[in-house]
Amino acid sequence: MSADTLVADEAGPAVAAAVPASGARHVWRRLRARRGTVAAAAVIALLTLTAWAAPALTALEGQDPDAYHDTLVDSAAGGVPKGSFGGVSTDHWLGVEPGTGRDLFARLITGARVSLSVAVGATLVQVLIGVAVGLLAGLGPRRVDSLLSRATDVMLALPHLVFAIALLAVVPSGFPRPVLLALVIALLGWAGTSKIVRAQTLTLKSLDHVAAARLGGSGPWRVARRELLPSLAAPVITYGAILLPTNIVVEAGLSFLGVGVKPPTPSWGQMLSTATMWFRADPMYVLLPAALLFVTVLAFTVLGDGVRTALDPRAASRLGVGTSKGAGR
Amino acid sequence: MRQLSVISRRLAAASVGLALAAGAAACGPEGGDAEGGSSDGKPTRGGTLSVLNQQAQSDFDPARLYTSGGGNVPSLVFRTLTTRNRENGAAGSKVVPDLATDLGTPGKNATVWTYHLKDGLKYEDGSPITSGDIKYGIERSFAAELSGGAPYLRDWLVGGARYRGPYKDKKGLDAIETPDEKTIVFHLNKPEGEFPYLATQTQFAPVPKAKDNGTKYEEHPISSGPYKVVKNEGDGEHLVLERNEHWSAATDDERKAYPDRIDVRSGLDAAVINQRLSTGSGKDAAAVTTDTNLGPAELAQVVGGDAQLKKRVGTGHFGYTDYIAFNPKVKPFDNPKVRQAIAYAVDRTTAVNAVGGSSLAEPATTYLPEQASFGHTPYDHFPAGRKGNAAKAGELLKEAGYKDGRLTVTLTHDTTKQDEQGPEVATAVQDALKRAGITVRLNGLEHNDFSDRIHSVGTEPGLFLTGWGADWPSGGPFLAPIFDGRQIVEDGYNFNSGLLNDPAVNKEIDEINKLTDLKAAAKRWGALDKRIGERALTVPLFHPVYKRLVGKDIKNVVISDWTGVLDVSQVAVR
Repeated sequence: MSADTLVADEAGPAVAAAVPASGARHVWRRLRARRGTVAAAAVIALLTLTAWAAPALTALEGQDPDAYHDTLVDSAAGGVPKGSFGGVSTDHWLGVEPGTGRDLFARLITGARVSLSVAVGATLVQVLIGVAVGLLAGLGPRRVDSLLSRATDVMLALPHLVFAIALLAVVPSGFPRPVLLALVIALLGWAGTSKIVRAQTLTLKSLDHVAAARLGGSGPWRVARRELLPSLAAPVITYGAILLPTNIVVEAGLSFLGVGVKPPTPSWGQMLSTATMWFRADPMYVLLPAALLFVTVLAFTVLGDGVRTALDPRAASRLGVGTSKGAGR
Repeated sequence: MRQLSVISRRLAAASVGLALAAGAAACGPEGGDAEGGSSDGKPTRGGTLSVLNQQAQSDFDPARLYTSGGGNVPSLVFRTLTTRNRENGAAGSKVVPDLATDLGTPGKNATVWTYHLKDGLKYEDGSPITSGDIKYGIERSFAAELSGGAPYLRDWLVGGARYRGPYKDKKGLDAIETPDEKTIVFHLNKPEGEFPYLATQTQFAPVPKAKDNGTKYEEHPISSGPYKVVKNEGDGEHLVLERNEHWSAATDDERKAYPDRIDVRSGLDAAVINQRLSTGSGKDAAAVTTDTNLGPAELAQVVGGDAQLKKRVGTGHFGYTDYIAFNPKVKPFDNPKVRQAIAYAVDRTTAVNAVGGSSLAEPATTYLPEQASFGHTPYDHFPAGRKGNAAKAGELLKEAGYKDGRLTVTLTHDTTKQDEQGPEVATAVQDALKRAGITVRLNGLEHNDFSDRIHSVGTEPGLFLTGWGADWPSGGPFLAPIFDGRQIVEDGYNFNSGLLNDPAVNKEIDEINKLTDLKAAAKRWGALDKRIGERALTVPLFHPVYKRLVGKDIKNVVISDWTGVLDVSQVAVR
């Protein structure tokens, strides 16, 4: 048991997660203490950096993600890349795409930009809507609460994939596609956050410090901002961290189904969709986007799990009530 | 009327593009000898042939089948006045007599066509086939409930536009006369030298009036061919054909009818069909497909690997052209220089690769397919070379008033993947035009939406991908619907995408239609194509090539240039 758990404990186990500024340092330490979390964070940092620097990296390789190279594919054999491992060479580090001869490295890292930005954007909007709706439901009058809660239930019950496909199909093609994707994913997926925020708000509302603030004459907005939001940060961050990898998968899924970003913009899902028919003739073409998608989702999931544990008041408590730590002893 | 028929034409053309009958010449490319490919020895009678397909053989009624699809499995059951010559390659694009003794006698400037039936023609029940039955079969196809056929009969026969079929108009269609049981005379409202081609479609199959039960007829149509229907489950999902004992080979020079039984199963996935054919275990050894091509990735395996498998792949050419179409009413495509610049800029190598490479498509510079029967006359008015001529395109843009040689256009395409009008071809065109300084924005539309928009005068985009297939191997059904100004349909499905209405072109089409010498007609279709090509209303991209796999026991594979696919009436399984 380290010193940091002790300090956290002093803040009182019931509201451990609600310790904002002073707890941040300890949360950070707990995060760092887990090797898996650190590794996942490193992978994510590398991915983000690669995606951010994609134009520079493709320039370094000397390639353009959209340029065709018909001499690099065997046209008579259906367009399979010439050479081994899908046409790997010093010019094309990860080989080329069958049929078009477009550079795979350039397309993969440019595709990372799409995947990551859409997923991050969607998560932010989801959390924003979720917190707003949840707070309103938790603090507002009964009628507002029941209305918003029913709306949330309806959103949860919607067949998301079907609605996403329908929404993406009806919007005119002039609308910037990645923004649209993020919005559609967000609009269909905020309900979980809002449920959690509402439940947490209802619990916090009855706590002494909140009651004191209300009695002291603070309006609902001030109460929400000063007393509730800091305490909501932990569960919301945790939930957001879990949502992010889900959103990456959803984006890839929609692109796989052909309603994601428009060609020639590369995206992992789109590549996988074309690659499925090439899995025997050119396995590299399937393996690369699949592996990248797998690693990204795994890293975000591990990180999300780490964040959840680090912010979990029970994990922070000395007794470890309700954790494996506690149960084990 | 017109609209409905044309939609079905388009559908049929699309299904041909995707799949249709199968081919598999064993001994190499098309045009080879008719000897089967996979094993030695002469083909013999007997056995069961399996047909593995994606699409069900639905509406198995001679009135409802379209020209292209009607030439495959249906031609085993339905004999027609004339038929396709069942031979490999170019010889297979000839029209030959079937029920009739000859290709017909034209009269009055090719507006009257007279046919005589052969002797000894019988239905599956042994009753004789009469010319009245052929007349009745054609009349049925005018009934609204039996739609699906091509629009030609309605357009060509005197009074055809007003006739509503034998169920409503008991009097019958006066344009078809049957002076005796063996003679049938057609009266057309304009000269049509290609009438013998039309007489190959299943609407010309005899239907005995006593056995006609309307829309239920498709469950058991009365056979005039070598096979009869013994089972038809799920609207053609599973079809079993057995030998028709009353069919006489002496009256039929075309159908070989080797197997005793033919089992057609559909609803299968393309990958599954090709996998089953290549493995060839059990019944699949004696299987073919009439609607599934080898995909690019499957081709990679065949070309790169198994020599035995390679022998079992047949190559076929169906008359089809995929092209970029312009709407000259939309700016900037009203300027011929802009259209020419795009014609110079296209890269046909990457376009061909986008649909599976040089084994599955051939670059096209002419609108007409590269076959003599179409009258193909080589031309390349705006030579783009292998990789596109970006420099020349840039010059033209400058001449057109784009000072820095830069231009942004929108290309409309189908979002269906692996489609000839799909995103792969669109991005290849985009890349090629980018090299010439033309920025292409892509506007992908869902399949039905795409099809509706490009075929409506009001919504037709300025620049889009499209394709055209032939109803029979001649220049007529290829050029007339697209370039005849009188065929512009303002309020329905329109195929004249360039909205060309040139009296000289219209007149030449009429003149060629009068010719009954098909060779002479072909030559003039070719010359007309070359002349229209100068206007740059289309940029031909490629002609698709069919690659079809057959089971290892299959013999006597014949692939004609008419259908481009394996002729199911010639196949033997032992």
